[in-house]
Amino acid sequence: MTDYAGLVSAAGAMQRRQMYADPAVYEQELERIFGRCWLFLVHESQIPQPGDFFRTFMGEDDVLVVRQKDRSIKAFLNTCTHRGNRLCRADRGNAKAFACNYHGWAFGTDGALVNVPLEKDAYFSEIDKSRFGLVEVDQVASYKGLVFGCFDRNAPSLADYLGDMKWYLDVWLDAQPGGSALIGETQKVELMTNWKLPVENVCGDGYHLGWAHAGAMKAVQSMDFSGFTVGNASVELEGGLSIAGLNGHSVLATVDGVSGYSFYPDNAGILRYLEQNRPTAIERLGRLRGEKLWGSQLNLTVFPNLQFLPGLNWLRVYHPKGPGRIEQWTWAMVENAMPADIKQRILDNQLLTFGPAGLFDNDDGDNLAACTEQSRGWRTRQLDVHTNMAQGRSGARPGLPGDIAVGVVSEHNQRYFYRRWQEHMAAADWRAVPQYNLNSLQDAKDLAHVG
Amino acid sequence: MSAETHALLSIDQHLALTQTLYREARLLDEERFADWLDLLADDVHYRMPLTARRFRADRSAALAGGAGYVFDDDKGRLGLRVQRLESGLVWAEDPRNRVRRIVSNVEIYRAQTDGEATVHSVIEVHRSRMDAQQRRLTAARTDLWRLEGGGWRLVRRLIGFDHPVVIDSNLNVFF
Repeated sequence: MTDYAGLVSAAGAMQRRQMYADPAVYEQELERIFGRCWLFLVHESQIPQPGDFFRTFMGEDDVLVVRQKDRSIKAFLNTCTHRGNRLCRADRGNAKAFACNYHGWAFGTDGALVNVPLEKDAYFSEIDKSRFGLVEVDQVASYKGLVFGCFDRNAPSLADYLGDMKWYLDVWLDAQPGGSALIGETQKVELMTNWKLPVENVCGDGYHLGWAHAGAMKAVQSMDFSGFTVGNASVELEGGLSIAGLNGHSVLATVDGVSGYSFYPDNAGILRYLEQNRPTAIERLGRLRGEKLWGSQLNLTVFPNLQFLPGLNWLRVYHPKGPGRIEQWTWAMVENAMPADIKQRILDNQLLTFGPAGLFDNDDGDNLAACTEQSRGWRTRQLDVHTNMAQGRSGARPGLPGDIAVGVVSEHNQRYFYRRWQEHMAAADWRAVPQYNLNSLQDAKDLAHVG
Repeated sequence: MSAETHALLSIDQHLALTQTLYREARLLDEERFADWLDLLADDVHYRMPLTARRFRADRSAALAGGAGYVFDDDKGRLGLRVQRLESGLVWAEDPRNRVRRIVSNVEIYRAQTDGEATVHSVIEVHRSRMDAQQRRLTAARTDLWRLEGGGWRLVRRLIGFDHPVVIDSNLNVFF
């Protein structure tokens, strides 16, 4: 395997365009990123009952996630162990068993091979069915409702993999009793982009907001975009933070406690919900997170391909389909404690802003596709692209884990994303992947009461 | 559509409504969005539901909170989309993309209420974008149209989109 050391500069501030288009790089990503990292599978709320299943992908591997009779969750490669056909063709649902279309081999929801047609007549009852159960994903684990799978038995535990990012994830996952849920059908869009580009766009790129989304911002004047102006004429950096140095995970955060809902044209009910439930959030998360982060616009990235935005309330995973193509899957996020009308409003507004016909989302696809396309030319792909904005201007902040830069217009988080990508691509196995949770908070007591 | 009747309109009304459907497609192809909005009743409801591929035998419940809609728009929200497209700041549409709508399989029936008609149709939206990039999107439409001020106005449109994965990087288009 190649170590591709030259594709990202040491500090992560420069990338060789080849990394967005080269099939060899992509093949190594399938092994060393998607074959190694913990990948998002499903939210527990999406498969509540035994027999509920959800069909998804880990890298390009088709995976079936199934709620078991004992309510635990297993994940299997979605392929018949006989001749390799795709086993399940539905996106989701409830099933007692899965029968293959081709020869009728049938598997229980626990993956066991339960029926082989003509077992007596054609196999002479000599087939050992216990050898042909579905292939399980090596590790499956949940963090407060988010279910992840991992193909690498030597990976750190999910808790260690997430590290200090858990402290930020809890702002959505644990602010209110009852936890979180995803609602609505999966919103699937094909984008002709390399998978790293949308991750980069959301993990740290506040820079594009006032420019790429100028049309939407101009039309939707009822929405309040604090600090941003149409056409990117100016930006207010105070009040926002770029947080990285968390094993490749990152956060863009506004810190006013309400701005997450400022993209919504009709947010009065949601702001009332925040006001009424803020004491609970503070009690559960401490003052800093409860007052300053819960309700704020947060962009959370879990390396490599999961992103979710409390506030705008969408959760998204990017499934790679080759070096220059992805399927982008999006859902709306809610807290279970929210009243039904607010959940419905969130689903409506999420689809209006960031659904397949989303007023904001529609501005991004062509930019990401063109960055990919422009990395293919023989001469062009030898060029670099740059994430050197505000380099060297980060540090510690009292009470917040991570290496932190001021403002959400910064390329701080992208630098850490590419640095992490490079570390995985160069490492033969997990022992060679460095772990860092910079400026880690010392103990849970500190966590709850700082700020 | 359990309330569907198969009673036909007068030939004049039928012809006028057919012409309106074709004219609507041309107005959108020509990006005459203000004229298109004028074709819509003030209480228009324009929807495209999200769907999933499910087994025929699967009787498990729908997702909590409803499935959601790609479009779930009243006239105000459609106006918002038009304002964005006409802002001069939507870079993905500049230079303009060539879009051609083909409306077909049109069936027009008298609705329950006088002066209203149920219309089934199929729409094919061809988008010609960067260089040789072509996208062809298809959908089935079930409409309710109403006679108002001497012309037909669209009151309800339910769009059955045929693509489980949206095969274009945006849906900056109306169906």
